[in-house]
Amino acid sequence: MGIPGKEKMWDKEEKEHRKYDDVRIFTDKDFNNYTEDELKAFKPKHATPMLDELEKGPWPSFVSDLKREALHRHKVGQDNLLIPMEAVDDLLGVVELSYKEGETHWKHGGIVGVLGYGGGVIGRYCDQQQMFPSVAHFHTIRVNQPGAKFYNTDFLRAFCDICEYRGSGITNMHGSTGDMVMLGSTTEQLEPIFFDLTHDLGNDIGGSGSNLRTPSDCIGPGRCEFACYDTLAMCYEMTMAFQDELHRPAFPYKFKFKFDGCPNGCVAAIARSDMAFIGTWKDDIRINQEAIQAYVADKIPRDGGGMAGANWGPFNIQEEIIDRCPTGCMTWDGKKLSINNPECSRCMHCINAMPEALRVGKDTGVSILFGAKAPILEGAQMSVLTVPFMYAKHPFESQQALARKVQDWWIEEGKNRERLGELIQRMGLKTLIEVLGIPAMPQMVKEPRSNPYVFFKESEVPGGWQRDIGDYRSRHPK
Amino acid sequence: MGREEDIRQAILDYGSKGAKTKFYFKDMLAGVKKTIPDTGASEVKGVASKMIAEGILEYFSTGSSTMYGVKGRGISVEKSGDAGG
Repeated sequence: MGIPGKEKMWDKEEKEHRKYDDVRIFTDKDFNNYTEDELKAFKPKHATPMLDELEKGPWPSFVSDLKREALHRHKVGQDNLLIPMEAVDDLLGVVELSYKEGETHWKHGGIVGVLGYGGGVIGRYCDQQQMFPSVAHFHTIRVNQPGAKFYNTDFLRAFCDICEYRGSGITNMHGSTGDMVMLGSTTEQLEPIFFDLTHDLGNDIGGSGSNLRTPSDCIGPGRCEFACYDTLAMCYEMTMAFQDELHRPAFPYKFKFKFDGCPNGCVAAIARSDMAFIGTWKDDIRINQEAIQAYVADKIPRDGGGMAGANWGPFNIQEEIIDRCPTGCMTWDGKKLSINNPECSRCMHCINAMPEALRVGKDTGVSILFGAKAPILEGAQMSVLTVPFMYAKHPFESQQALARKVQDWWIEEGKNRERLGELIQRMGLKTLIEVLGIPAMPQMVKEPRSNPYVFFKESEVPGGWQRDIGDYRSRHPK
Repeated sequence: MGREEDIRQAILDYGSKGAKTKFYFKDMLAGVKKTIPDTGASEVKGVASKMIAEGILEYFSTGSSTMYGVKGRGISVEKSGDAGG
């Protein structure tokens, strides 16, 4: 395995960061191996009149990209590629056929994978193998993205080289779980791809199937001053702590962790994960009154300059900030901004609009929510705020313990292909908080209940079911 | 037999005798519990993972969910890509 002639490099098991030049497969000449005139003259293997229509709009077209890649692979030549050179040609052909017939010619799923892993590879096969032999086997490999998708160009180039050499050269950056997705390789190349990824890039493959899916986090304190905890560290530690769940499937269905550093929710944890971690704070929003005055005087551009160039007129703090506060917890007397902090619902609008004047509090941690996404029962749903605040300190053992509790309950009680959110709906939020050992709180109540019957357990009622009938009758004679 | 061997045998019995050649973990766990009632998910998963590594069991993934199977029963890697298969 590895690049022919450079195999020894892989045997060293070196820990230090590898440069692209250490592991590159293709030369710069390989990457610039066709001219625009050659592209215009290039005829892919199959005629694609319907797909060609997609190139005519004003937007970038995946069809144009695929044609470039098809030509590129022809010029690289089969001798320098480990799966069929014409994979992209045949991909264009099968997509054209599907457009024409209005149905897919892909089958997905199967046994393929890397040894010991129950996820990360999704078998994909074409059911028109005579017509499109180069995509007869066209498996997807999900690659665990680096935290917050922070990768340098060395990493990206090495990843793309592997994808080109051992796959179709087509990637999806990024899949909806965040993975770097290699689209299209053969069964024989799966183990070598895994070897190259782990040994050259120090990178694992991601989750699929009834596994923990690849955890995903926002950019956090790496670049963002709103981050209320270290999303990168928590995502990494949780990924490492839950390796067995990530690679060896025993859940009823998929399970997702997502880590948002603040309530802006840049990875949409609240809507897209079974267990969402959202940064928050317990104390007051920090206010710089001088900076507020500068915003009012239009000396600092609103929204961090994000609205620059738009003709919105002068900044009006009353209309644009105070009146838009969803809980009405802000006041402006013409000189001073005040916030009734206990009423703040963390919508982030004021902080986003005036980031130099307002900052999240200093006493920070995470809110934890459960059960977003339940597509089978009644469509997509948002997760439920269950733990309003928890400190998030490395190595995040409290969060790990909570996750294991809920996963153990779900494994025990969940039906096959039932998401955690559906289990919570079926068993009730009351059961969930009992499992987690969390007291019920008014903030968990979304609306007055429609069912008047509440069944208490004896242990929940002071004195239990036993009572002194004599005492009762002394107050309630027959 | 030791406990692990008992669980191995229960997994093999469940996976070899049913009509379905691929089965969910939860169903396999329920099958093992019929023979060994005091076992649990983590113990069975641990043994099943070893059997996967040894090539006795294999995963079958649809992409969205994953099942287990006894290697050699039902669809194989070689056959899984056949047109119409």
